[in-house]
Amino acid sequence: MLQKREKVLLLRTFQGRTLRIVREHYLRPCVPCHSPLCPQPAACSHDGKLLSSDVTHYVIPDWKVVQDYLEILEFPELKGIIFMQTACQAVQHQRGRRQYNKLRNLLKDARHDCILFANEFQQCCYLPRERGESMEKWQTRSIYNAAVWYYHHCQDRMPIVMVTEDEEAIQQYGSETEGVFVITFKNYLDNFWPDLKAAHELCDSILQSRRERENESQESHGKEYPEHLPLEVLEAGIKSGRYIQGILNVNKHRAQIEAFVRLQGASSKDSDLVSDILIHGMKARNRSIHGDVVVVELLPKNEWKGRTVALCENDCDDKASGESPSEPMPTGRVVGILQKNWRDYVVTFPSKEEVQSQGKNAQKILVTPWDYRIPKIRISTQQAETLQDFRVVVRIDSWESTSVYPNGHFVRVLGRIGDLEGEIATILVENSISVIPFSEAQMCEMPVNTPESPWKVSPEEEQKRKDLRKSHLVFSIDPKGCEDVDDTLSVRTLNNGNLELGVHIADVTHFVAPNSYIDIEARTRATTYYLADRRYDMLPSVLSADLCSLLGGVDRYAVSIMWELDKASYEIKKVWYGRTIIRSAYKLFYEAAQELLDGNLSVVDDIPEFKDLDEKSRQAKLEELVWAIGKLTDIARHVRAKRDGCGALELEGVEVCVQLDDKKNIHDLIPKQPLEVHETVAECMILANHWVAKKIWESFPHQALLRQHPPPHQEFFSELRECAKAKGFFIDTRSNKTLADSLDNANDPHDPIVNRLLRSMATQAMSNALYFSTGSCAEEEFHHYGLALDKYTHFTSPIRRYSDIVVHRLLMAAISKDKKMEIKGNLFSNKDLEELCRHINNRNQLCFLQAAQHSQKQSTELFQCMYFKDKDPATEERCISDGVIYSIRTNGVLLFIPRFGIKGAAYLKNKDGLVISCGPDSCSEWKPGSLQRFQNKITSTTTDGESVTFHLFDHVTVRISIQASRCHSDTIRLEIISNKPYKIPNTELIHQSSPLLKSELVKEVTKSVEEAQLAQEVKVNIIQEEYQEYRQTKGRSLYTLLEEIRDLALLDVSNNYGI
Amino acid sequence: MAGLELLSDQGYRVDGRRAGELRKIQARMGVFAQADGSAYIEQGNTKALAVVYGPHEIRGSRARALPDRALVNCQYSSATFSTGERKRRPHGDRKSCEMGLQLRQTFEAAILTQLHPRSQIDIYVQVLQADGGTYAACVNAATLAVLDAGIPMRDFVCACSAGFVDGTALADLSHVEEAAGGPQLALALLPASGQIALLEMDARLHEDHLERVLEAAAQAARDVHTLLDRVVRQHRAELRGGHRLVLGAGFPAADPAHLHVGERHGLHHGGGAVCGRRPCPGFCPGLRRPPQEVGGSASGLA
Repeated sequence: MLQKREKVLLLRTFQGRTLRIVREHYLRPCVPCHSPLCPQPAACSHDGKLLSSDVTHYVIPDWKVVQDYLEILEFPELKGIIFMQTACQAVQHQRGRRQYNKLRNLLKDARHDCILFANEFQQCCYLPRERGESMEKWQTRSIYNAAVWYYHHCQDRMPIVMVTEDEEAIQQYGSETEGVFVITFKNYLDNFWPDLKAAHELCDSILQSRRERENESQESHGKEYPEHLPLEVLEAGIKSGRYIQGILNVNKHRAQIEAFVRLQGASSKDSDLVSDILIHGMKARNRSIHGDVVVVELLPKNEWKGRTVALCENDCDDKASGESPSEPMPTGRVVGILQKNWRDYVVTFPSKEEVQSQGKNAQKILVTPWDYRIPKIRISTQQAETLQDFRVVVRIDSWESTSVYPNGHFVRVLGRIGDLEGEIATILVENSISVIPFSEAQMCEMPVNTPESPWKVSPEEEQKRKDLRKSHLVFSIDPKGCEDVDDTLSVRTLNNGNLELGVHIADVTHFVAPNSYIDIEARTRATTYYLADRRYDMLPSVLSADLCSLLGGVDRYAVSIMWELDKASYEIKKVWYGRTIIRSAYKLFYEAAQELLDGNLSVVDDIPEFKDLDEKSRQAKLEELVWAIGKLTDIARHVRAKRDGCGALELEGVEVCVQLDDKKNIHDLIPKQPLEVHETVAECMILANHWVAKKIWESFPHQALLRQHPPPHQEFFSELRECAKAKGFFIDTRSNKTLADSLDNANDPHDPIVNRLLRSMATQAMSNALYFSTGSCAEEEFHHYGLALDKYTHFTSPIRRYSDIVVHRLLMAAISKDKKMEIKGNLFSNKDLEELCRHINNRNQLCFLQAAQHSQKQSTELFQCMYFKDKDPATEERCISDGVIYSIRTNGVLLFIPRFGIKGAAYLKNKDGLVISCGPDSCSEWKPGSLQRFQNKITSTTTDGESVTFHLFDHVTVRISIQASRCHSDTIRLEIISNKPYKIPNTELIHQSSPLLKSELVKEVTKSVEEAQLAQEVKVNIIQEEYQEYRQTKGRSLYTLLEEIRDLALLDVSNNYGI
Repeated sequence: MAGLELLSDQGYRVDGRRAGELRKIQARMGVFAQADGSAYIEQGNTKALAVVYGPHEIRGSRARALPDRALVNCQYSSATFSTGERKRRPHGDRKSCEMGLQLRQTFEAAILTQLHPRSQIDIYVQVLQADGGTYAACVNAATLAVLDAGIPMRDFVCACSAGFVDGTALADLSHVEEAAGGPQLALALLPASGQIALLEMDARLHEDHLERVLEAAAQAARDVHTLLDRVVRQHRAELRGGHRLVLGAGFPAADPAHLHVGERHGLHHGGGAVCGRRPCPGFCPGLRRPPQEVGGSASGLA
């Protein structure tokens, strides 16, 4: 204890204003150097990561290099980087929190070979700043001095390269110490990494954009935008209520004009604003970009504008301003940005003709982001022409008030436009998903299971765990062909007559130690991603598809929850949590289980486990299984009824989501018919999740990870209520119970689509369910609205979700706490857990809402586009379909096409100002006239007096065509061709549920693709054409691709409600 | 910028210390010949001077005299030049009154006041430079001064502050850390018995964290004790060397045997304890509150 105080006390003075502050600065002889070459590892006391030992040199970036080239230093190829504390502090003070956090994360990330050396606290490295010495000079001097010390500390065994942008420093220090080289960063890349092309390109583009910026600031044109206010003013303004803080949301369909600011938590409470704030035009948006946290000043009431209710296409300019907007809403302008949310953007360079039209400065090019909501970005590059046909990733550097567009630099090429790989990569980048294969270090931690050395249950574990292999009939019910089985079930009668229900979940945490490489990787990925033609697993397949998967007939580790239920009332009497060993007896699929439940035993032949049995034992076993399934269903019904009593919601897509959450494969997400077995399994999982949530919350009231689903804002329901009123239904949205009941009642016997649409509208009004740490929320906020449970978490899919792994660890810790045993490993503190939850929520939003909504929806659209692309809309029968109007705008209607599950807009007024009219044969044509919009209908009147009216929920006939776009993804375009429902020759088709029809559509496409492939084989000369048409990549059968896309296409696009 | 990193990811504080480390402490006893006892202490850049007079007869109104013990009178003041901005600090303002009261509470718990009934002990403390932890510095300086005056005490009183940042308890906060606005806790400890003479905190801190912060502060106070003990021994060695008149063989503060008498005889365990020369009542009157109770300003606990 004592020797700690034997430090030299130095005083460092900061001369700021007239105030003179003296701060102490303590130095110590031993600062961890994190080098494997350290001569006294004991004294340096390294904890955390070490530099790897296989590097040829260490590189120490100067403060300026860290500030400007951090992106290049992030390349995993660059190894042995030592960040000096001096440099990090320079980043912190001069570059702001965002970049500093990036640096911190880099240092924390075990996969990057870089460390921080606290040189300013090291006795020999610290240099006091001399009188009159500039900050920059002192920083460079300190870093060089530390580099020399480090070199000697490693006993001169490892050459050190200090990279700097300071020419003087190179002159001065270049040859001062042998073994410590001082060179420029460009020089370093050229000499040491000549092959790392990406880094060179990035370096060039950073250099160029910096030069541009310098030039520009000298020129300084007239101001395009008002300056942002300083941070103190903003903060004071928010506190006093003068300004409002919120997140900027750009309207996708009118990216140039409309943006909304969604109020953030606290600020919305005290102001009486209920709706979002409209930001009209780019000027008022004042350089903020979609997703930024901005500060807004409200305009006076007479300047308020209404949101445009007319439909409009992205590329058309704002000329149709004659449209009457809706009633004025709060309008404001951005006065400052609190947090910039810039990320990597995928862009497309303009084609050659466009470049020429842009004129004089060929080096500065305006590129169009793939995302409509992002403004064009100005890039300075010489490679514009070569990059023309590629999708390219760029980053925004700055947006000066003098410039109309933001400045950015080019980062890397993704792939050719229209090429499947490129398009998929685009979707990945746009959703901020970056996935690299598992590294060797990560795979080394994995257990082995090969035919030569099969994995076995270890005797120690056998002792520690409860053995259920003999005593329980355990089985799983999953979609057909499912590889990774997370959950199994069991039910049996106890000696006292009571029932015992068991849920057994794969014990992933046994294989994934906290803070191991694989754990860190899984945490970053947070979830398994499902994409159009591929899947990115959270865990390596040796775990996800093998050792953790509770397959039939093999011994597996599990974490079990077992309830003792009263034999008659099914009341829960006791509950037991713990680690077990199980052997699943049957791996059933849903359809088979349902057949068994219905008493149809003929499916037995489909179940492999029964194949090799003789008739007698087969009969006995079958009876046992049928009893178990029957009992489970019974219990599930009971539990469900109880939950329904509290107001659990059944919404359009809910079923889907539960399946998506608890089952791995999307294959059977929307079953042909919803089977009761689905509900049974889901109910058991919800029950398990609920009880685990209770348990971990009781044991760790301040650091348990739970999942909440906040009640929705009432105002979001207004559209739903309006729509329902049009059909004569009343929707009571006051509580989840009344909502569920009134949705059940809102059923039009003639038109099942109505109920579906209403449910999907209700779903859209919901808020998203979120993970949270119990320490950061009041207890009454824990409630799960959709499931009507007071506490809920995710426990049942540890193979697919990292949150479940955390919950497993918490549960294990809770069990050891009950047994008064020491808790192994550290649990996350509330703060860490909060951060983790934010990360997972973020990822989930990407995965389940955006990837399930966006990337999956995007791939679905890709598929739909492919379907319609080769059809001539004018002649092709299949392009004409039945549509239902679900929303009305001033110049058009929004349609839902149940046959393909497409939602889209159809115009009633075309670009020439002509309106639609329907003749006596109900065929539509364009004629001059006017539109009149009412609450629930829209009437189009031509000049010669004909008029046609479209009501909400009317059925119309639409023609579907494709609108191709170079910079963005292709979109589907709808055209109303008749105001009568489309008559399909085979009338029963109408009444079939749409998923069936969608799969039919898939069949048709695949068939046509097969034909196309056939044609490819026959006619060699058209291969090229087919290649382009179907975007088929070489070496991959389009058929398999489509098979996989089919799975995704079945997802209902309206579903953004993740339980 | 609001982002001053009080505790870096590597575990360093702004001034280079780790979470549990104290600032450099230097102290001297017997700096004024005129007073009965005096001491000067530097804790980092916080500098304090303490002077003790007494025990002597009650000055002023005799009515204040206590029949069974000595009156402890504490006065705190800080120099105009003690902070970065020069500021006139009138005598008897709220802050110094409060500090005086706190010092008084602390020392009533530590000094064996029942040995000197109907008399008065004056403790004057002046802060020359304030750089965080002024209360702690005052207590430590006053302890040394009381020892220098030869007034019998149960034990050293050692004080230290502790704060809480990012889930970690920081010992001995400097001014920068205090100014950041986190919770700060001041603790005066009788290290040998582990009894708390004063515990003060006027910020919100979650109950769950209190134990950790308290332990950090207690550990820091024990570290302070080791240092002060060394200072006292060194001072005694100097005295033996003949710089000053030796007060007598039984110079209480310098004799560890005496210091620990209380503990050995179970003074603090409530029994019929023996303390120094005289039997002492079971419940120490000086210790206003039972040990380990979190009181005072702790009502701000979340």
